[in-house]
Amino acid sequence: MNTPAAMTWQKNPELAWREIDDQTVIISPNDSVMHELNDTGSFLWKNIDGIKSVGELAELLVENYEVTPHVALSDTQALLEEMSSRKLVATVAETGVVLP
Amino acid sequence: MSVTSSAGATPLMDRLISRTVRKHRPLSVHFDLTYRCNERCVHCYLDHDDHGELTTAECLKVLDDLARSGTLFLTFSGGEIFLRRDLYEILAAARHLHFDISLKSNALLVTAERAARLREFAVRRVQISVYSDVPAIHDAITKVPGSLERTLAAIPVLLEHGLPVKLACPLMRENLAGYRGVMALAEKLGVPYVLDLTITPMMDGSGGPLEHRASVSSLLPVLRDPVLHSCKPQMTPQAARAMNSFEPSLGSAVSSGMASSAYEDLPCSAGHNSCYISPYGDVFPCVQLPQAAGNLRREKFDDIWYHAPQLERLRAIRETQLPICSRCEIRSYCERCPGLALMEGGDMLGAYERACALAEEKARLAGVAAPISALHLKRKQEAGLVPTKGEVEFASFAVHTSSD
Repeated sequence: MNTPAAMTWQKNPELAWREIDDQTVIISPNDSVMHELNDTGSFLWKNIDGIKSVGELAELLVENYEVTPHVALSDTQALLEEMSSRKLVATVAETGVVLP
Repeated sequence: MSVTSSAGATPLMDRLISRTVRKHRPLSVHFDLTYRCNERCVHCYLDHDDHGELTTAECLKVLDDLARSGTLFLTFSGGEIFLRRDLYEILAAARHLHFDISLKSNALLVTAERAARLREFAVRRVQISVYSDVPAIHDAITKVPGSLERTLAAIPVLLEHGLPVKLACPLMRENLAGYRGVMALAEKLGVPYVLDLTITPMMDGSGGPLEHRASVSSLLPVLRDPVLHSCKPQMTPQAARAMNSFEPSLGSAVSSGMASSAYEDLPCSAGHNSCYISPYGDVFPCVQLPQAAGNLRREKFDDIWYHAPQLERLRAIRETQLPICSRCEIRSYCERCPGLALMEGGDMLGAYERACALAEEKARLAGVAAPISALHLKRKQEAGLVPTKGEVEFASFAVHTSSD
């Protein structure tokens, strides 16, 4: 199921993360699992702020990478769902508020 | 776009270490917030007087600099961290900057309220020093009556608040015989542990703590212990479930770096992708290598990290170029530390007695016949007890000639 383009997502506030040379490393403190995002994943991660919608994130991808709007939206949706399954992000609707 | 995940010491971690070593990114930092302590452990290498700790504002500035430089793994230690009145303020800032936060403490001051605060800051691990499961032994080391009871009472409190705990047990003369008790205690608590064979000199180089160091021969039962698999990572089933670190159960409790094959020909992580910061703002490659590269009150972290001559010299060292150790036949059994080589042998590039003796014992236990380190071989050769390489070749030539 694709996450709707109007939906907004935010990072799990408990995560530790750092962008190191265009790649983002994320650690979940509860299980010590380490995650790595490539450069486009890192770009999206930086822009996930609880305010921008999925569609807006995809538009940013189109502006910064050579990708069509259709592919950008589909890739953004896929990455958010993947990160959601790993509890790295949650929808603002789920948390009820935009977390700091 | 992709997201890759894994836990523990993994290819993903190795890749991160390789990348940060190659580009000299300060991935892991050990930050002592204070040297003040409410215990007086007999083997401690610190001067517990306060000689002018970084202020709260200075600590927060350091954290900002580290985050900008790419530090992810941040360990706050001491002294006893709970003696810093601004600890929560510092932890809140570290959380805000998305560090992976670990703490080291004796847990004497842990309460349910304090544990709850630590949980708020998403602390990933609290490492607690436990020297024995026997109160008289533990308390004699800390010089605080009742300290084991208080420390052990704190552990369930931390666990109940969702804070992973790890026991750290430096082994010395006073507690060596009871190391199995600490392992059993960890198993009972369901937490991982690390037994540490390293007792270091004071940071000023004086050797007081070394009086408590166990002899190499007395360490043999530990090295032989099948549960520890001859120094390979080994955990109880409960500890494996609670596994939340990238370190083995027999290793160093003070190192700021992480063990990995990704370091290849480097002596260790110190100065390559890890460093140590003292409560006074001094930046060292490692707490065990007390050669200050600069001070954060006078210089920015990046200026020290990328330009200090001490760090540049350290980064040039390759194990295969060490004058003595590079030709050592039992090098693979050695856990040589550049800092201890400097403090104990006077030369960061040199061999030192303790590492050589331990390597020989480990090699012997692994089935190597008559193992001898390059240092000991050199000494024997200098004393004329074994032929040098040139003498062996000459003797061989002489035998060949006579048979003609």
